[in-house]
Amino acid sequence: MSAEAQRPPFWRDVRVLGWFFQLAVFAIVVAIVGILVNNVRVNSANQGIPTGFSFLDQPSSFEIPGNDFRQSQPVRDALVEGVFNTLRVVVAGLVLATLLGVTLGVGRLSGNFLIRTITRVYVETIRNIPLLGLLIFFYIGLVLTAFPRVEDSWIVGSLLVANVRGVTIPWITGSTIAFLVVVAIAAGLAWAVNRWRLQVNERSGEPARGGLWAIPVLVLVGFWGAFFVGNGITTPELDGRSLEGGMTMQPEYFALLLALVIYTSSHIAEIVRGSIQAVPKGQVEAASALALSSWHRLRHVVLPQALRIAVPPIGNQYLNLMKNSSLGFVISYFEITKVTQTTVGNRSPAVPAFLLLIVIYLVLSLIISAGVNVVNRRLQVVER
Amino acid sequence: MAMRSRWSILTLLLALALVVGACASSDDDGDADGGDDSTTTEAAPEPTDDDGGDDGGDDDGGDVETTDTTEDTVELTQDGGSLLDSVQSAGSLRCGTRDALPGFAVLQDDGSYEGFDSDFCRVIAAAVLGDAGAADMVPLETNDRFTALQSGEIDVLVRNTTWTASRDGVEGATFLQPNFYDGQGMMVSTGAFDGIDAMDGTVVCVASGTTTEGNVATEFARRGLSVEVLSFESTDLIQEAFIAGRCDGWSSDVSQLTGLRSAFPDGPDALTIFGDVFSKEPLAPAVRDGDTAWAQAVEWAIFATIQAEEFGITQANVDDFLTSENPSILTFLGVEVDGTSLDPGLGLPTDFAYQVISQVGNYGEIFEQHLSPLGLDRGVNTIWLEGGLLYAPPYR
Repeated sequence: MSAEAQRPPFWRDVRVLGWFFQLAVFAIVVAIVGILVNNVRVNSANQGIPTGFSFLDQPSSFEIPGNDFRQSQPVRDALVEGVFNTLRVVVAGLVLATLLGVTLGVGRLSGNFLIRTITRVYVETIRNIPLLGLLIFFYIGLVLTAFPRVEDSWIVGSLLVANVRGVTIPWITGSTIAFLVVVAIAAGLAWAVNRWRLQVNERSGEPARGGLWAIPVLVLVGFWGAFFVGNGITTPELDGRSLEGGMTMQPEYFALLLALVIYTSSHIAEIVRGSIQAVPKGQVEAASALALSSWHRLRHVVLPQALRIAVPPIGNQYLNLMKNSSLGFVISYFEITKVTQTTVGNRSPAVPAFLLLIVIYLVLSLIISAGVNVVNRRLQVVER
Repeated sequence: MAMRSRWSILTLLLALALVVGACASSDDDGDADGGDDSTTTEAAPEPTDDDGGDDGGDDDGGDVETTDTTEDTVELTQDGGSLLDSVQSAGSLRCGTRDALPGFAVLQDDGSYEGFDSDFCRVIAAAVLGDAGAADMVPLETNDRFTALQSGEIDVLVRNTTWTASRDGVEGATFLQPNFYDGQGMMVSTGAFDGIDAMDGTVVCVASGTTTEGNVATEFARRGLSVEVLSFESTDLIQEAFIAGRCDGWSSDVSQLTGLRSAFPDGPDALTIFGDVFSKEPLAPAVRDGDTAWAQAVEWAIFATIQAEEFGITQANVDDFLTSENPSILTFLGVEVDGTSLDPGLGLPTDFAYQVISQVGNYGEIFEQHLSPLGLDRGVNTIWLEGGLLYAPPYR
């Protein structure tokens, strides 16, 4: 009752005012966005530039290297190929950059002078160079010069053909998706067998030997399944200048992956170093007191705690890596930015095309963020 | 606590109000567009203060008082006035071009530009402003050129740009009389291939953002050959990739290939350009859609160079023609006969052709000065009397 009586009039009520201002700000933001969108729409219409997304169904009129994408296919398909190419470099980049980065980060704190100095020079050099510089250097200075011309290709039987046009290895034919499904099933079975062996071990004390059972299962089921769904193997054959069969890793892909991994790993290394130093010293001393070897100290005591600290900032680096992959356009790697640019150069309207590009990167970023958050939540210490 | 949050909200609002205020002029453009469209026909003669007449009412007045060229011209054209007026009142022409294409537009050590396209920028400036030196060159990347044109960053695009249907349509550009009829060709290391038919399964490098990408794919498909097309942002990267053997062929317009070959590190003889030309590439200046007066002015400036060659008027002898017996020539040069000279109503000075020829030269002179040294033949780029494609409508 008394509380009710003391409520001020609504124009001085903090809650009412709070709502009012929130709504006002929201309305202003909506209005600004509306004005900008309208501006684009009206000005584009005045200049005869289409603003819709109908360009997605137009023929693309360009081809994508290293791919059987044809120029008669619609722009929509080109963008899908672009996203796929982005994912190829990002997924491989994330894994390799993490491995290299953690190794370097640990190396930064090594007791060995040589290792400590080398990693330090590496980190301090690489992270102070713009990625674009690294990329162009790796492409022109390393990849293009390291590999021989087509006439002098390196050939290892039918296992490998390497030249300046790329490194070609044997690959599966038929549906890649079917193959991945088969591999997933085989891996699942192998996991189940391994688990069963562990249970046997618990029940009877018989040695588990999980690997001994699971790996043959994986291989056998994988091979048989792949054969069953119609996968085969294609090997690279060089005939004159043209290459038949196999799967080619293009030099552009290689240069971009290398640049992204080297660059991002130097940042991850610093994060890992900082995180390790943030682990209380007493933990290491306690582990030493328990007579754990330096490897066991690192593996079981330091790294689990350090990585917990490192996960959120490493997640940022993952986002950076994904966004930096857009630099592939400079060296003609057809990731999504390059595809968008090319399609804009081939008469797709720029505003909607780049809007779409922004949305695609946003979605990819959110997916990576979500993944990092899941890992972060699982690693979080349960607070009491 | 409550007071503080209220103050922070107020501050935020204030900040937003500032932002809105700053955006207000661009918001005016939108409104003014709608409002002015109905009145363009009657509003044509008032050149500079379109902004004052907009219906927004909250105009900050800044645009009316200043003569700041960049902002004014952008505003004006968006409001429906002709670029011709604003270029003439600004006294300078912003011409979108290149900076490192031998023969067409090369940035010199002293900051000036030299080349065929650069000279056509000067031709337009001489015609519109009476001063060839009033052309400000704006170097543009291939991918940015139409955006620059659409946004009003440049007044005219003379950047060896191929005239195609979809560029006319989608890019919001209006193409004018081509100043060079080009065709796409293929350049390879000398002795590597006999011709395009021998290039099955090869890799061809092109510049990105051009029609070349699609043309290569189409041409190889037509011949039943497979090809991979790599496209790079800069010609330097293409050259590196080409030297490393990443690409077997280098495809572009023949005029460009000729220029690039002349500057190749191993010397021009290391490269061969095939005789096959597999596309039509009419390189034409372009202006923004929807500004007929400006488009016509630019187009007649180019016609003047062609007409001059047809008449045999050159930079050296143009003054002799001022006393010519031929009435067509006198009309063309804007010479007053009996106190009158023809003003066809293009918005150009009556002596614009004289200014173009005396300051820059006729078409043939421009071509021979910049393109002949590269080893380019006139080919179809001769006047119609000699079997070429250059044909100017009569000036009368």
